[in-house]
Amino acid sequence: MKSEEEQMSEALVRIFENVVLTEEKSLQAGYFKDLSIAEMHTLTAIGPYDARTMTNTAEDLGITTGTLTVAIDRLVKKGYVHRERDKRDKRIVRISLTHTGKLACRMNSKFHRVLAKHILAGYDEKDRKHLLDLVDEVDRYVEQQLKRYDSSENVRATARQVAKDTTKEKN
Amino acid sequence: MSDSKIQREKVFEDVVRIMAETLEISPEEISADLSFNSDLPFDSLQLYEFVIDVEETYNIRLPDEVLDEVKTVSDIVDVIIKLADK
Repeated sequence: MKSEEEQMSEALVRIFENVVLTEEKSLQAGYFKDLSIAEMHTLTAIGPYDARTMTNTAEDLGITTGTLTVAIDRLVKKGYVHRERDKRDKRIVRISLTHTGKLACRMNSKFHRVLAKHILAGYDEKDRKHLLDLVDEVDRYVEQQLKRYDSSENVRATARQVAKDTTKEKN
Repeated sequence: MSDSKIQREKVFEDVVRIMAETLEISPEEISADLSFNSDLPFDSLQLYEFVIDVEETYNIRLPDEVLDEVKTVSDIVDVIIKLADK
């Protein structure tokens, strides 16, 4: 029989992979076949409303502005993103979604909402609340782990610290 | 005629025009009491086409949480008037 840790670990990895895979397949089968998952996530990070700066969007996606520039070049060419220089400060580049970009972004949000709706539909109100509390805790824990790497300039030092803490917990 | 009634009629006209263009149907086929779910032939892509056009026309935001409460053509007119007034 699998240990609780194995069950939890396998389920977490599987859920993550299957959500991304389902999202990818739904894209391929739908109206936005020319978009990759990474491109769709870039559109989501820009969002359907206000224009955003390249710097803020790159920060949200956890990538460099250089990497984002390459992605935005492609999305502008495909007609999903509009890019312009700030009228007052020419150094600032602002990006926003075109009508088609907004459409793709809204359809993708709908995909996530429908998935969540179907998962929650199997539970009564009390169990839904309990499930959401548990998912929230898992989310917070994983987020904390990510922050340990974010706040450190030296990733190796953080990795060593994590390994040390884990050994301590085991002993 | 009061200002609010004129405004409501103008918003209703805009909604009908955008809806008819999106669905490629005649504006005469659309009335205030029609339901988004059962009477109007929207698929989800067309629904968001319509929503984005309305957002851009009135410079408002219609997130899914707001759309969940909209059942009829008359409801969307009410929501637009409420949000455009802010």
